[in-house]
Amino acid sequence: MRLLVVEDEVDLARTLRKALEEEQFAVDVALDGDEALFQMTEISYDAIILDLMLPRRDGWSLLHALRQAGKRTPVLILTARDAVEERVRALDLGADDYLLKPFALTELLARVRALIRRASGDPSPTVMLGDVTIDTAARRVSRGENAIDLTAREYAVLELLARRRGTLVTRTMIWEHIYDEAEEHLSNAVDVHVSALRRKLGHDLILTRRGQGYIIDA
Amino acid sequence: MLESLRARLLLWYTSILVLVILAFGGAVCYLFWRSMLTGLDEDLRQQAQAIAGALRPGAADTFDLDLPEELMRSFQGDSRQYYVIWNAGGDLVDRSDPDVDVPVLEAAVSRSRTGVREVTVRAGGGATVLVGQETSELRRDVWVLGGTVAGAAVVALGLSLVGGWFLARRALAPIVRISRTAKAMSQGDLSARIAIDRTETELGQVALALNQAFDRLHDSLDRQRRFTADASHELRTPLSTLSLVVEWALARDRGAAEYRETLDTCQRAATRMRAVIEGLLTLARADAGEPVLRRVPVSLDQVAHEVVTLLRPLAERRKVDLTVSGAGAEVAGDPDLLRDVVTNLVSNAIHYNREEGRVEIAVWKEEPSACLQVADTGIGISSEDLPRVFERFYRADKARARDAGGAGLGLAVTRWIVESHGGQITCTSEVGVGTRFLVRLPLKAVAGPVQP
Repeated sequence: MRLLVVEDEVDLARTLRKALEEEQFAVDVALDGDEALFQMTEISYDAIILDLMLPRRDGWSLLHALRQAGKRTPVLILTARDAVEERVRALDLGADDYLLKPFALTELLARVRALIRRASGDPSPTVMLGDVTIDTAARRVSRGENAIDLTAREYAVLELLARRRGTLVTRTMIWEHIYDEAEEHLSNAVDVHVSALRRKLGHDLILTRRGQGYIIDA
Repeated sequence: MLESLRARLLLWYTSILVLVILAFGGAVCYLFWRSMLTGLDEDLRQQAQAIAGALRPGAADTFDLDLPEELMRSFQGDSRQYYVIWNAGGDLVDRSDPDVDVPVLEAAVSRSRTGVREVTVRAGGGATVLVGQETSELRRDVWVLGGTVAGAAVVALGLSLVGGWFLARRALAPIVRISRTAKAMSQGDLSARIAIDRTETELGQVALALNQAFDRLHDSLDRQRRFTADASHELRTPLSTLSLVVEWALARDRGAAEYRETLDTCQRAATRMRAVIEGLLTLARADAGEPVLRRVPVSLDQVAHEVVTLLRPLAERRKVDLTVSGAGAEVAGDPDLLRDVVTNLVSNAIHYNREEGRVEIAVWKEEPSACLQVADTGIGISSEDLPRVFERFYRADKARARDAGGAGLGLAVTRWIVESHGGQITCTSEVGVGTRFLVRLPLKAVAGPVQP
């Protein structure tokens, strides 16, 4: 899953990135409103973590622009300002959730996961695919009774396909959601991950549509 | 009821009105009565004279009375007039009617007895002629007059009471409005203002003054609220960085490098918080009106040079050219605070500048002030931000100053320092061109420094 963190406080942004990457998210960071707008419109993120007080373009106007552009990306607001009207305004402008600073990291992670779940239309943290069970909160996969070991990338690919089950996911989309902008990736990296998944979870799980992409059947 | 201003007003002037009417009416009736009496007296005297004229003393204290016909008639019937004649010895000589019984009266006076008025004249032969008249009719006339006056008075009173009630209510309505608005204001409705029709009246002036006071109160409460909100926000941000990075560090086992980095981040956050708190304390002291500060001779150009030395590394890092010029401006004040002022201005000038930009500091003497100017070729301040630039927590470019380690308090504190030294600070700027801050301080008096 790929996240955008919009926060002008450099230390905070850096720490968020480290913490989220440790949770297997691909993370891009924008330090001001203009940069954030550019990123948001170019890339489809799975969720955006947005600070309201930003230079060059504040959080509210970013939200407005995002929703005007028709993007449905879930947005979590981070703010130190506890005035109710400001949060209400942000929520009414299209934000999905907010957290007051200072916040607990664990809570941030849980809320982000919840947002992503809701956006994919599957509110349950546990996804069942035949005999494969994915616990998205704990990031654990099991097949039948057995726990299956997946690398971070493999898990990310699996979760992405599982969240979008029933719809076709192109290779490009997988790249975009697994890697952040700073990483270089090999063009066949996705194929490598998918083969590994097939090996570990069964060959019927992920179907290939030649020339187009992959799909997990609903 | 008597507490009401309106009722008291009404009571007072109604009482006065009643008194005036009574006095006036009473005077009128009295004067009327007296004038009637005077007329009557004249009448009676003429009658008496006529009778005296018709009286002829006879022999041995006897008199002959030969009254003309009409004269006789005026004493007959129901004329209520009568006459009595006495001789010199006070014996009755004649009277108009046997029923008339009048005590003796000496001549040439007039008197009133119960229900009658009598006048005497001297007649020939030492006789006294008295003519009297019952005054019942006269009396009745006066009573009628009195009654009319009283009736008119009652009507006037009634009208004035009613009219006065409404007039007082109209006149005092503004006071009721004022007191109601003031109560609303004191109970927390900060937007309550008195509606004023006309400001030239006395009450209009009061209302205007009160509205202005309410405005100032509202403003200062607003500023306080904003201050508290801004202050808590400014502290929360470094606090959340701190707690986040610590939580991250503790989430799993890490290496020394990561722990070191974490501690560095903590330190930076702590420094930020310290800066905010110190700025807040200074401003709180300023608000409490604490008096200044040391007063020793301070050479502004020396301070400028010190600051330049201190900030040159920063300027070089940001590729900004830093120059200082001028001399000969000595003021009396606190050297540390004045250095803070210059440091704040110069570091802002460096931070809000462009690469290859310039910061020029100039110091000079312009009687009676010492002047210090910090000019930069930076991004400038827009005309909407310019008046607010000295406000606490105000930041034109919201997060730039955070990099500088400031919290938006710098200029507010700077201004306070300058003003408590008896000086003033002004700012001119043009977006995209540059900004100029000018500080004027009173030159140190030639007589030595004043020790606290």
